Amino acid sequence: MSVLKLHPEKCTGCLRCELACSYMQTGEYQPAKSVIRVSPFEGHTSYAPYTCPQCAEGWCMTACPVGAITINAVGAKDVLDDKCVGCKLCTIACPYGTMFYDPATRKAFKCNLCGGAPACAEACPTAAITYEDVATADWLGDFAVERTARVLAEAR
Amino acid sequence: MTPATSTAPAKPTTKSAATARPGGYAGNLLRVDLTRRTCRAEPWSPETMRELIGGVGLGAMILYRETATRDGKGNVSWDHPDNRLVLATGPLAGLPVWGTGGLTVCTIGAGTNGPTSTQANGFFGTNLKYCGYDAIIVQGQSKDWLYLYINDDVVELRDARSLVGLDTWETQGALYKETGLAGHQLSVYSIGPAGENLVRFAAIQGDYGHVASKNGCGAVMGKKRLKAVAIVKGTKSLRAADPRGVVQAADEIAHDLRTDASARSLYEYGTLPGVVNLSKMGALPIKNYTTNLTSNVAGADLSVWEAPKLRENFDHRGHQCNACGMHHCHMSVIRHGDQKGKIVDEPEYEGWSGCGWAIGAADRDSVAWLNTECDRACVDVNEWGWLCGWVMECQEKGYITREQLGFELKWGDVKGAHRLLQMVSRREGFGNVLAEGVKRAAEKLGGPAKECAIYIEKGATPRGHDHRSRWEEMLDTCTSSTATMETGNPVHPTEIGQPARINPFDGEQVAKYVAGLRGRRSFEDSLGICIFTSRTRLEHVCRALSAATGWAFTVDEALRFGKRTAVINRATALRCGHTGAMEYPSTRYGSTPVDGPAKGQAIRAQWEKMLDTWYSEVGFDRKTGKPLPKTLKDLGLDWLSKSLWGNKA
Repeated sequence: MSVLKLHPEKCTGCLRCELACSYMQTGEYQPAKSVIRVSPFEGHTSYAPYTCPQCAEGWCMTACPVGAITINAVGAKDVLDDKCVGCKLCTIACPYGTMFYDPATRKAFKCNLCGGAPACAEACPTAAITYEDVATADWLGDFAVERTARVLAEAR
Repeated sequence: MTPATSTAPAKPTTKSAATARPGGYAGNLLRVDLTRRTCRAEPWSPETMRELIGGVGLGAMILYRETATRDGKGNVSWDHPDNRLVLATGPLAGLPVWGTGGLTVCTIGAGTNGPTSTQANGFFGTNLKYCGYDAIIVQGQSKDWLYLYINDDVVELRDARSLVGLDTWETQGALYKETGLAGHQLSVYSIGPAGENLVRFAAIQGDYGHVASKNGCGAVMGKKRLKAVAIVKGTKSLRAADPRGVVQAADEIAHDLRTDASARSLYEYGTLPGVVNLSKMGALPIKNYTTNLTSNVAGADLSVWEAPKLRENFDHRGHQCNACGMHHCHMSVIRHGDQKGKIVDEPEYEGWSGCGWAIGAADRDSVAWLNTECDRACVDVNEWGWLCGWVMECQEKGYITREQLGFELKWGDVKGAHRLLQMVSRREGFGNVLAEGVKRAAEKLGGPAKECAIYIEKGATPRGHDHRSRWEEMLDTCTSSTATMETGNPVHPTEIGQPARINPFDGEQVAKYVAGLRGRRSFEDSLGICIFTSRTRLEHVCRALSAATGWAFTVDEALRFGKRTAVINRATALRCGHTGAMEYPSTRYGSTPVDGPAKGQAIRAQWEKMLDTWYSEVGFDRKTGKPLPKTLKDLGLDWLSKSLWGNKA
C-alpha cells in the first residue's frame, strides 16, 4: 500500500503543502483549513510537516459514536460528512492532533490522502513529503523506533 | 492633492460592488492612523485593483495622492506626520506561486527625502492577506512606542514600550512569547535600534533575515514610533479565478528557474555565486572602490568563495519564503571562530560585499556574523558597506582621526566594524554624524574625505556592486525616482524587444538599454512576488497574474503599467524637489577603476551623453526632469499634465 512519508530534514517551511491541501479540501486557498500543518522547531531554524499517519489503531474511528469515520479505497481514514454530527470526540481521541473541526460546517475533517493523489506531496518543492509504497502502513512506528535508537546511541 | 481632470484615478472606493472582486485579492486596505490611534478597513474597488494592481503600483499612487503639502505645491518631508508608510502586498501574495510572501514598502524615505520602493519577502504578504488585507497604510505619528497587531478582524495598536531597544530578532522573539505563537504563524516586521534612533539608512527587517532596506524606510517607521507590525497567519480564504491556471503558471515558472541558464545558479545557491562571478567582471566592490583585485584584501582566497563552499562552510538549512522551492534563503550556524554556534541568516551576495569585500574583510564566519548584526540593528547592509569602508579609508589616509572616531578602525577589522555599527545605530559620539548616511556625513567632513565617499547626489547609495563596471546599474540608480534601481536587471531582454547583449562600456548602448528595459521591475514589484522567483519570461508572470485575477494581462500591458508607475513616482519625486542636477554619481562612485577587469573604463566621460540618450528614450524633459506631455498622454496619465506643466500642457 502507499502512505504519505514525511522527511522533516528536507522541509524548508515554505508551507506550499498547506496551500495545496487547503485547495483540495475547500476549493479555495485557506491554510487554516489544511489538514497538513508545518511546525517550527528550534525557534525558527527548522520546520517539519505533519499530518495524519493513518495509524493502524484508528483511534478516531474507535471514538466516533455514529460510525462516521471509515476507511476509503486507498486505505485512508475518512470522515463521512453526511454521518458526522460534529461531536468532536475524534479530535479528543486522536493522539497525533491531526483530526480537525470546522465550525463553519460543524463537521470533523482530516487527511483522506486526496483519494490516492495527495496534493501536498505533489506541491512540495523539496520532496519533504512523498507518497510511497511501503510494506507496512505503520511507517511512523518504524521511524520512531529507528530514530529513538539513533538518538539514544548518539547520547551515549 | 486632487489630480486635475476627470480622468484622474478614483480614490479607493466602496461603491463598485457591481463588479466582483478579482481573484487573488483579500479586498481591503488597512488604514492605521497613529496620531488618532485608529485602524480601519477600507474596501478598494475592482477597478482600482485593475489600475494599480498592488505593491509599488498602489504605493506610488498613495504617495502621490496623499503626501503633498497642504498648499499642493510641495511634498511633506520624510519625518512629517502626513508622510505615509505603505506596506503593500499584491495579488499573487499567498498563492502557490514560488516566493509569494511579498512586501513592498513605499514611503517618503529618509535617505533622499523622496519616494521609495523597497521589497522584502518571508511571510508578511501571506499572513496579511489571510487576515483579509491587501496593504497597510500607516499615517500620523504616535507619542508613545506602539506595535500593530493583526489577527483576522482583531487589529490593535499595542503598547511597545517593553520592546524599545531590542534588536529586530529579539523583537520577533518577544512577540512570539507575548502571543504564544512561533514560526510562520506570526510574521513580524520591525525596526531595531537604528530605526528607533532615526538613522538615515535604517531598514525594516522581518521574519529573520528579510529586509526592506532602501532609503531609510526604518527611520520613517521610527519617526512614527511604530516598533513592529505583527501579523498572525489569518484564517480567511483567498480565491483564484483559475486555480488550475495558477498552478500551471507556477509550474512553468518553477521549470524555468530550475533549468534556464540565467536562473539556474540562483535556484541552486541564491545570490551566493555573485561574489566570484562579479569579481571576474570587476563588479565586486573592494575596499571602498579603491581596487578591483581580490588579492588586495588580506587573507583573501577566492577559491573558498565559490557558492558551494561558501554555503557548506556553515551548518545550514533552507528557510524559504511562502510556497518557494528555490534553494536560496538559508539559516546557518557558524561552525568556527569567535562566533561559533551563533545562528545567522545566510548572507545574500550584498551582505558578503557590504560586510565583507567593501570593508576589506574576507573571513567568511565573521562576515556572516556582521551581516546578521546589521539585520538585527536594522541598517541597510549596502549603505553600511559604503559607510564603514569610507571611514576605514579616511582613517588610513588621516581624513578621520582616531580621536574623532574614538578608536582605530583598519581595513578588514570586523570587530571594529561591529563597534562602529553600535555607535551608528545608537548615534553615539562620531556615530551621530555617520548615522546621517554617507552623503551627509561626507559633506559635513568635506575636503578630500568627501572625494572618497560613494553616494548618489540625491542622498541614496548604490547596491553592493562596483557599478563602474556595471554602467547600466549606475545609470539606473542615478536616474531612478525611488532611491534604488527602478529598471532592474535584464531578464530575457529579447522578449521585450531589447538586444541580448550590449557593449557594457558604450554609454549610448547602455542608456538605450536601460530605457528599453523600463517597466518590468515596477510591474513585478506590484504583484507580491519575489524579484528572484520572477526571473523568468514575463509572459509566465503575466499568466500567473491573469489566472489569479481573471484578467487577461499581456506583456505589453505589464510594461505599460510599470512605466506608468515609474512616472507617478517621478511626479512625486519632482514635488519633493528632486531635479536632473541630482542625477549624478559622487566623485568616487563615478570614478575610473585603477585596476581589475574594468581598468580605465571612464563612465564620467560619457555621463552627459548617457543622460541625454536616456531622457530622449524615456520621453522626459532633460532640463526639468519632467515627463513630457506626450509621454503622459501615451501612458494614459493626462491628468498629471496640468500639475506638472500647468497650463502649458
